[in-house]
This record gives sequence, C-alpha cells and structure tokens, in this order.
Amino acid sequence: MIYKVITKKEFKKFVNGLINSNETFGPRQVNTAKDGKPIYQFKEVHSFDEMELDYTLSYSSLKNFFLPFREVLSRYNFTDDNWEQEIEYRVNPRVIVGVRACDINALCKLDDIFVNGSFPSPYYIARRNNTFLIGMDHLPMDDCFCMSMGELVVRQGFNLFCTDLGDRYYLSINSSKAFNFLRNVKTTDPTDKDDRQWLERRNLIKRSFNTTVDTSSLPNLLDIEFDSPIWEKWGDKCLNCGTCAMVCPTCYCYGIEESIDVSLKSSRRERFQHSCTVVDFAEVAGGHNFRPSKEARLKYRYYHHYHGFAENADEQICVGCNRCGRNCLAGINPKDVIDDLLMEKTDEV
Amino acid sequence: MKYKLPKEDINLKPFMSKPPRYNWKDVIMRTDKTYKCEIINIIELTPMEKLFHLKILDPVERDIFSFRPGQFLMLEVPGFGEVPISISSSSNNKEYIALCIRKAGRVTDILHKAKKGAKVGIRGPFGTSFPMEEMIGHNILLIAGGLGLAPLRAPLYWISEHRDEYEDVSLLYGTKDPPSMLFTYEYAEWEKVNHIDLLTIVDQGDDGWTGRTGLITELFKEMTIDPDNTFAIVCGPPIMFKFVCNYLDSIRLPMNRMFVSLERRMHCGMGKCCRCMVGSTFTCVDGPVFDYWSVMNLKEAI
Amino acid sequence: MKYLGIDPQKIKIGVFNFTCCEGCALALANKEETLVDFLDLLDVVTFREISSDRGEDYDIALVEGSISRDDEIERIKKIRAQAKVLVALGTCACYGGVNNLKNQFKIEEVVEIAYGKDKVETSKVRPLSDVVKVDLEIPGCPVSKAEVEKIVVDIVNQSEINFPEYPVCVECRRNMNTCVFDLGMICLGPITQAGCDAVCPNGGVGCLGCRGPAEDANYESFREILEENGFTMQEALERINFYNALPGMVIDES
Repeated sequence: MIYKVITKKEFKKFVNGLINSNETFGPRQVNTAKDGKPIYQFKEVHSFDEMELDYTLSYSSLKNFFLPFREVLSRYNFTDDNWEQEIEYRVNPRVIVGVRACDINALCKLDDIFVNGSFPSPYYIARRNNTFLIGMDHLPMDDCFCMSMGELVVRQGFNLFCTDLGDRYYLSINSSKAFNFLRNVKTTDPTDKDDRQWLERRNLIKRSFNTTVDTSSLPNLLDIEFDSPIWEKWGDKCLNCGTCAMVCPTCYCYGIEESIDVSLKSSRRERFQHSCTVVDFAEVAGGHNFRPSKEARLKYRYYHHYHGFAENADEQICVGCNRCGRNCLAGINPKDVIDDLLMEKTDEV
Repeated sequence: MKYKLPKEDINLKPFMSKPPRYNWKDVIMRTDKTYKCEIINIIELTPMEKLFHLKILDPVERDIFSFRPGQFLMLEVPGFGEVPISISSSSNNKEYIALCIRKAGRVTDILHKAKKGAKVGIRGPFGTSFPMEEMIGHNILLIAGGLGLAPLRAPLYWISEHRDEYEDVSLLYGTKDPPSMLFTYEYAEWEKVNHIDLLTIVDQGDDGWTGRTGLITELFKEMTIDPDNTFAIVCGPPIMFKFVCNYLDSIRLPMNRMFVSLERRMHCGMGKCCRCMVGSTFTCVDGPVFDYWSVMNLKEAI
Repeated sequence: MKYLGIDPQKIKIGVFNFTCCEGCALALANKEETLVDFLDLLDVVTFREISSDRGEDYDIALVEGSISRDDEIERIKKIRAQAKVLVALGTCACYGGVNNLKNQFKIEEVVEIAYGKDKVETSKVRPLSDVVKVDLEIPGCPVSKAEVEKIVVDIVNQSEINFPEYPVCVECRRNMNTCVFDLGMICLGPITQAGCDAVCPNGGVGCLGCRGPAEDANYESFREILEENGFTMQEALERINFYNALPGMVIDES
C-alpha cells in the first residue's frame, strides 16, 4: 500500500476526471424519512457536486452492483428440434465513490465465496474486476457495530481509501490503476503531522461507537442453542419478507429461475437474490419444506451470519452495518437477538 | 484391539490415482455451460419413475465427463429449469449416462413427457462419492428405500466390475408396495452373476406378493453383520436412514463406516446458492455422500 | 418444446367480463412489444376487447370481474360447463375486489346512491369461486401482463405453473425502493403475495393488497407493526377493505 495526501480541492478535480470518463456511482439523497432523516442510495452521478460524501450509510448495500438482484446467466436459443446455449460475461467498467469500510469488507467476504472459493464465479469476477472503488471513512451511526465484528479497518478489496483530515484526505492507494490516475492531480507524501492526524481520526472513529455486540462465542453457542426458545420469540415477530437479506451487504444466497420467452424462440436462465428468511427458500420438488416455520427460517440467517458456512472456512459474514436491524419493520436486530441468546445462558448459570 | 487407532490410508483416496494438475489451481470456468446430451433411450420403470439414457454429443465433453459412484449432476431442460439427479450408471460406461427420475416438479414433469431424441444439458459431476477403494477387502451392506436404489446402482456396477476385491455384499431394498420396486428386471443378474445377496421387503403387499412385508429394519433379523469388517451405504428417505443407522450403531458399526446420501434441492451445485444447506454444510460440495458421524453433527439433517 | 419432442399447443381461449372495469381484459392487450407473439400462442374464440368474433368452442375461459347479479350466476355456470379450464382473472374475480366496498352497506342504500329511484337488481358481491369451481386464480388489479404471459407460455408448453409465495417486500427491496413505512404511510406489502414487481411502492404508494395473502403471512406481527408506527386498526382496515383480498387480517380481528 502506498500512502499520499491530497487536498479536497484536488480530490474533487480527480473525481470529476473519473466521472467524465466513466460510468460513476456515488451516494445521493433519494428520499426523506418521516423522522426527517435523509435516505441515501448509490446512484449514477454526473458531477462531483451531485454526491453527498458526508452521508451516513446507503439504504441498500453495494452488494447488488456485484450480485444484481436479477441477472441472466445464460440464454437458450431454440431452433427446430435443437437449442444452443449462449453465455456472456461482458460488463462495462464503472467507478463507485464514497464506499464505507464495512461495505468494502463485505465485498471481501463475498470475494472469499465467489472468487477464492471453489468454482469461482465468472459473473461476479467480471463485475468485481471492472469496478473501481473509492472508499471513505465516516463517523459511525448510533447503531453501527462494525468495530465489534472487526470490520472497521480495510486492508484490501478497494482501489483507493480516503481518511478525512478536515481540509484534505489521507489516501491509501491499493492499486496501480489508482496510482496512475492520481498522477493527473497533485498529491504529496504524508508528513509527520499528517500521520498524527490520521491516527487521531482513527481514534475518534473508534471512540464514537455506541453499540457493541459480542459475537465471539457464537459459532459454538449457535449450535448449542439451536433449539433455544428465543428463536420462537423472535421468529414470531418475523414477517419473512426478506428485507434483511436484500439490504444486507453479504447475504448472497440465491435461486435460479428459467423462463421461456413469449415468442417460444428462446429462454432465459436467471439468478435472483433469494433469502433463507423467505418462505419457499428450503422448499423442494413435491412441496416439502425443510424449514417450515418462521423461527427456523430466521434462525438460519443468524446461523449463516454468525456461525459461518463451510464455503468460506466457517467465517462469520456479518460486517456490523446493522442495515438489517434498521430496516426490519418488526424490530428484529442482531444486537438484541444476540444479547438475548447470550443472556439466556448467563441467567441460567 | 478396542482402542487401536485405525490407519487412514491417503493413497486410497480417489484423487491419488490421477496425475496432479498443477496449473489448474483457481481456474475460472464457464460455470453455467452445459454439456449437450441426447436422450437415446427411455425406460418406464413405474408410472412415476423413468430411466433416461443420456449420450453426451460432443466427443471432447464426453471424454472429460467422468464421475464416481455417489456423485450427482445437474440436469438442464432448457426453458424449464435444472434439477440435481444422482447418476445411476456405471462410472465405466463411456457410452451413456443413466438417470432414474421421479416425476415430482416442473422440470421432471416435462422431462417425463419428452420423447427419445430430445436434447437436454448436463453440468457436473458434483459432490462427494462412496469410498469404493477404502471398502476393498470388506463386507458391504447396501441399504435402499424407495427411489434410494437409484444412487446405489452406480456403486453396484462398480462392485460387480471389481467383485473379487470385496467380501460379502448384501443389498437390502424396501419399498412401500410391490409396484414401486425399481429395476426388478435386474435382480436376477445381481444375485446370480454378481453374487450379491438381495433381500427385498415391502410395507404393504398386494395379491401377487409372496415376499416379505414390514419395515426395512425387519431384514436385519435375517442376517448377521460383522461390525469390525463391514461398510454400510444407506440411501432413502430421512426417516428410513435414521432407523437403519440407529440399528447399525447399536450393533457397534462405527459411524465413519456408515455412509448416507442426503437429498436436498441444489440450484447451483457449486457451494454458492446455499439452497441445499444442511446446518452449515453444503449438500452439493461436502455431500451428498456423508458418513453418519457428519450427519449426526449436522443441524437439520434428519 | 419441439426439441423435447413435444409440440406446443395453441390454446383456445374465451375472455369473459363480469362485474368489473374490464381493465384486466384490456391489460391482456397491453405490452405491444410482445403482443404479436402473445396472440400467436392463442386461438381467440371470444374476446370482445380485441375482436368481434363470438364462438363457443373455447377450452380455457379467462374470466374477469365478480358476481353481483343472479343472471351472472347463470352465465358463469354456462361458461364453467363449456371450459376445460376456468381461470379467475384479476382481483375482482379472485376476491371480489373493489366491488366489495358495496358489501359494507345495505343493498337498498347502495342502489339508491348509485341509481336514484331506478330499480336495479343487484346482490352482495362474491368472487367466482363462491359460485363455480375455479381452476386457476391470477390475482392483481389489474393483472400483470408479464405474469399472464408466463402462465400462457407454461400452459402452451404443458408445464407446471408457479406463483411467488413470498410477500411484495422481496420485490420492493430488489427495486431498491424506500420502505413506504419509512415515508410515514401504511403499506400492506409485508403480508401480500408478490408477483406485481411492487408496482405501487415503486411509485411511492403503499400496497393495497390486491394480490391476496402471501404464504404463511404473519398477521399478528403485522398488527403490532401498524400500532408501533402509529396507525389505528381502522386505518388499516380501510386499506384492506378496498380489495378485501386479505381476509386473514380481518377474520383474526373478530
């Protein structure tokens, strides 16, 4: 990693340069919630000023840039009594500006599954390799708990990461692409003062966390407490609406659907974002459902997130952004569910 | 002897017989490309089950496709969808792949309507397989319920082709009634040519039925199993293998010598979509063949 | 499909209108980009929105609208006798739909408000399934043409028909909408069957539940959510009664 410092004025010039040459996405306000708080999403931007880089966190995660909610995997073209399969991985290059640390770490977790795991996904790799990511630190929201998950610091998975030092940014440059682009603007080597300020800023961020979640014992506890009554308690609240999984930056489970075009001349094989909390996720041919109850489905999401699955060496995949908790109508959130789970055993001792 | 550690011989693992492919690490594949096959034969086994013979059309792909007993493939019917099916033919058969398919959903329904000569796609093979090499020199107990006989046909072929390497081989097969019995036309061959002890039983007999009736566990009364020298392979509905494995456990057959094949609805076959998860384990990558110890440790398996 | 050795069968359809706005039948004639292909799959015997031909030898009857008069009962029974498959098209046919609003009042009152002193024969509004056996229900106000296309393609190919079981929220979130509750309005999306691509929330309007209940919908939790968000049950019921397609929410209440 190479470190540089850039003034905010130069940074704007740099980003505008990228925007002018590439499809670029950045945080923009799309709505105002009833409590007056702005709602942000990553949207296409045409100039630096359209972005709101002091945003809190985007409403939906960045996941869908890499794992679109719906994506055609292949097409079949039918001829008289035959067919041909057609597969394409072409993706246009794009830039995403202002990505939070937790979202970058979430992508690293997806990389473990779709790039580093067995059967790397060409669809994911095509999107990932064609995306230029500029990360940006921020002060946590009240309910963020990425520090508890150890996902506060980014080490990889981005091109450029900016730490806010007031009138300038401290840049961590993590790719030759970024380094080359930065040659177009003025950057300086960090001075001792910059380094100190950088550390101060890091410490400020750490001190600002108000929510901690203890997940260290969860891999075992989730096994031990598989039949705990707390799942029924939270399961009864769950709407099985899949919102948590759709906004989550790491929920990647999917389904595959095929449909024949109306012309009967071709068909599409599509991957669509699914969720274990949704009713038909574990349903099999003939109608049997391996997870017929609300609690079994909700529990499964927690199991995946905090126990981990074999595919990425049983690593927990939650990054602590709390999008699921914030967006759950029923008020189900990791902090309360996990505290409940821990409390249950502590009370009994 | 009771506390002697068994020797695990890595040389017996299937991958050891192949030359190493050092340059194949982390290759990106076209993971959704199917091998085009022609259905060259359709055999109606019961009103619900048909046996399909598939021939891979491209000679290069036909050469690449090799599988081990117990593995499954994803069968694609373009436009309708993809289903996981365990392979029911000999792993030595380079001419065609046999798939025994029950009519159970959108894809299998349309497949049952398909005619000879139809073109379908396959991806695979995927998943783990039965430990054919490790079982050499031992007795083998094959236990199947209902459609569970389909995945056992591949190891049956393997055993027949290497019959002298194995000791006593028994096949215990139970179905709900006589018409549901699969592959009845092959029983005589299995018994007489391949020297496999075949014991069948049905839950409910009919007028013509002269064989045994009752649950599959009844068959254990007719035989003695040497727990120190036997491997068991169990395929069938979860409730069946629970009872069967409990019995085998009670006679002290070690759990790591009991193998079951789990059934879930795989969508990708590659450990990505999480549709076939059992606990924290992928049926498609870590299974479908598990030893019973692993199954016991999986949440939601039974 | 031909490659399987199965010949696609054109389907002989009749489209029939009962008490409704005929919006569902019109929806069938929408989506111009695929309309020609769509009509190619059909052998239209009776469909007054697109053709003046009238025939009697249809196999599949697509019936929109609800039952609100005695002569309609006779007519639907005749259609049932002729059709091999009877499809209830749209929320009115499946649940009674908007027409249900009338059921909250006395029949005489309703007639007087709508028609003044004229005598009009009318009765309580009922879904088709109250009168005849319905083979397939395609809900929606109006029906989604994309969904109808999919179903017709499935029928033509003799394939099984599947509907989404999950609630509208799944599709709404896929479209990256802001939750309507976050905007301070009621939305029935969490308990309503998906398949409409969340068309109402896409426009910033709460779902009215026209597609009926999602599988295993959690009414109890949804009631608590309404309360926590400061809505009264009365406000929610007004919304639900608009289509009357979520009986679970209402019956549980009493």
